[in-house]
Amino acid sequence: MKRTLGWSDRTILIAAGFFFITPFLAAGEYSLRGYGGKGHTFANYTWILHQLGFGPALLTSLRIAGVSVLLLLFLMIPTVVYVQLGGRRWARLIEILCLLPIVIPVVSLAIGAQVAMPKRLQSTSYELCFFYVIICMPYVYRTLNTGLQAIALPTLVEASSSLGATPVKTLVLVIIPAIRSATLGAAFITFAISMGEYALAVLLHFHTLPTWATNAAQENLYGSVAISIGSLFSVWFLLVLFSYLPAIKGALQNKKVKVT
Amino acid sequence: MDIHGSTVEFHGVTRKFGNVVALNDFSLKIKPGELVTLLGPSGCGKTTALRILAGIDKEHSGVVEIDGKDMSSIPANKRNIGMVFQAYSLFPNMTAQENVEYGLRVRGVDSVARSKRASELLELVGLASQSARRSTQLSGGQQQRVALARALAIEPSVLLLDEPLSALDAQVRSQLRDEIRRIQKTIGITTLFVTHDQEEAMAVSDRVGVMNKGNLDQIDSPSHLYNKPKTPFVAGFVGLTNVVPAVAQSKNEVLVLDQVLDISEHAPSLVKGEEVKALIRPEAISIEKAAKGAVVITKSFLGPMTRIGIDVGLHDLIYVELTSKEAKKIDTGDHVEVTISSDSVMVTHA
Repeated sequence: MKRTLGWSDRTILIAAGFFFITPFLAAGEYSLRGYGGKGHTFANYTWILHQLGFGPALLTSLRIAGVSVLLLLFLMIPTVVYVQLGGRRWARLIEILCLLPIVIPVVSLAIGAQVAMPKRLQSTSYELCFFYVIICMPYVYRTLNTGLQAIALPTLVEASSSLGATPVKTLVLVIIPAIRSATLGAAFITFAISMGEYALAVLLHFHTLPTWATNAAQENLYGSVAISIGSLFSVWFLLVLFSYLPAIKGALQNKKVKVT
Repeated sequence: MDIHGSTVEFHGVTRKFGNVVALNDFSLKIKPGELVTLLGPSGCGKTTALRILAGIDKEHSGVVEIDGKDMSSIPANKRNIGMVFQAYSLFPNMTAQENVEYGLRVRGVDSVARSKRASELLELVGLASQSARRSTQLSGGQQQRVALARALAIEPSVLLLDEPLSALDAQVRSQLRDEIRRIQKTIGITTLFVTHDQEEAMAVSDRVGVMNKGNLDQIDSPSHLYNKPKTPFVAGFVGLTNVVPAVAQSKNEVLVLDQVLDISEHAPSLVKGEEVKALIRPEAISIEKAAKGAVVITKSFLGPMTRIGIDVGLHDLIYVELTSKEAKKIDTGDHVEVTISSDSVMVTHA
């Protein structure tokens, strides 16, 4: 039965909507202001593309985000599968470990982990990937865990094994595709956090998109807000795309079946 | 299809979960091309035996052999055993065709050959037209047929069926049960079937093994198992059985419901005066309308047969099955005279 919203529900929704959308609208309007705050123009967005350091900073952030995503999925998918299949006694420990990054301040993490990091890695921006893996762990663990709980994991693994597949083949051919939505969600969270992370990058003196944007803001405040709005909507667009991919693919598949 | 029946042997296999003995010194030999069913209540060890044969579970002691080869050190993915599970187990990211091809794909068979084999098997299970559908687009019965085709695609030496029909509705279950038997006989594959449904077990099996608390109580042909149960548990589990107090009159005779029955075929060396229990099949009891005596309490229509519950003055009712035509003459509240035939009566110590 379809539930109609009462006046109190509507009021709460509208208030929450305003609370959520007003800063975006304000920032969007601000990013479109012309020189000296007069008129509205897209000049601040085109300004970004011509700034020195924007391209390298963007590429560095994209590389770090990409490697972080791969590293985290490589580490977390087998771990969560193991916990679900037979390692339940480790589940509590792993959950606690995955919660630690939320309670440990980033500065402590940066200093502590920097000491432990091999010297060779300290000189490359890929060092950040390891920190981002740690930061994203709480969100990724929960996303993957929920995805795996939604499928009949033990039966699928046993079926695959009885058909002759090794554990690696089962993971690659059966489990990962079966939790594609959760995997994409986990990948997206990691990508978004890695692209927007500022504190660690600046503490460890790496030039990523957020650190570059902070510097650029000193020259053109409107432009820096345009950067924030641009990256926010790019990431948001990716999120929407990833969320709807399985549904779009399913719809196409249905169409194909009907045709045949 | 190049499937040959293999010989499967369990030799004294034991499996424990903590202090619970799930399988106790279990021994069984399945001949090539034979369909053997393990029947029993939940927790009797039947699925454990099947999982040990599949290599998914590990025995604590004993040996499992296929064609004389010890399987103990061979992992599940190297045993070449096809398995259909109780839960729907199709890979959700694949179509029916891709599911059937999966076992061949992981074996490195080229795409043309595996596509041909998958098409043949989907044809065999009557789902050729559904090959492009995903599991979510198939009914439960169709999913289990695809799972059967998938299990057979790898040309397994043994087929294992772990309650594959239990999640299906009655009509589909009956159809698929007959189809499984037809396919099994067609290709002649050695099959171990596990179920708690006695009707299912009786209908499809060459032999049925009744399991009780980790032990194989009896293994026999369905008719032999029903007519000549070796233990009270088997008598009680296979078919409906009335348990009635009786007193031994001699080594071969018991007094049951005021009748002396000669039970020399089933007697466990009785001592005169000993209190025993008589296990009586409903078809061994006949009733006649009478002016007094036992009272008909319940009458349940079962299609061609009608089950009648009679109060004979014991704690429990005793049950009789009549053809529905005969049963029309009897109504609840009627008095009846009960006669027991000594055929199909078994006696056990109280």
